[in-house]
Amino acid sequence: MAEKEMEILDERGLDVGEDVIGDRPRRYQRRRPRQVVPEYVDWKDVDYLRQFVPERGKIMPRRISGISAKDQRRIAQAIKRARSMAMLPFMAD
Amino acid sequence: MANRTYEVMYIVDPDTPVDTIGKLNEAVGKLVEKEGGTVVRMDDIGIRRLAYPIQKKEDGHYVLFEIEGSGQEIAELERRMRVNDMIIRYITVRVDEDRKAATKRREKREARAAKRTKFRPSGASAEAQAEA
Repeated sequence: MAEKEMEILDERGLDVGEDVIGDRPRRYQRRRPRQVVPEYVDWKDVDYLRQFVPERGKIMPRRISGISAKDQRRIAQAIKRARSMAMLPFMAD
Repeated sequence: MANRTYEVMYIVDPDTPVDTIGKLNEAVGKLVEKEGGTVVRMDDIGIRRLAYPIQKKEDGHYVLFEIEGSGQEIAELERRMRVNDMIIRYITVRVDEDRKAATKRREKREARAAKRTKFRPSGASAEAQAEA
């Protein structure tokens, strides 16, 4: 139980896209508590968007971020705009 | 013609002298006005690190405009930006519709919250407990 809780903490914003190597099957923690996404997602607000961009630079999938499909589309759109203006990376290593 | 609001952002080559950038920004403002738009906001954000190199440059000078107009001035502005080699990247985003949607969403959210507190005044705290 304690282990599970730790995993949730670890996943927040970090290396979520990375495969879990070990004896356990690769499985992510299901749905975090629903997040509240602001009414207006500003594509210039990089600090906010970073929350949905793990280290690798990919957009965090919905099953991990736990936001609604509608919100995910808005966030993804904003991230793409920020990317094209070099405010977020397309790919980071 | 319904008025539209746009956000125009562009990245200027960081090696250009500051006063040249100032002139460029002025020219943009004038162009917009000439084409029948209005500049709502102009923000010279300044030098910022780029997330990835563009034209071998690691930094860029960001400038943000908020423009209201029919869209005609945007077309002209984009045409000019495309051929200007000081500007290494630009983007135009139409924001009025998204903002309208955002206000609608906020109203809905507030209405729902008001309704909830009306039915059970202690609802907020109980909810916080359930989430924890």
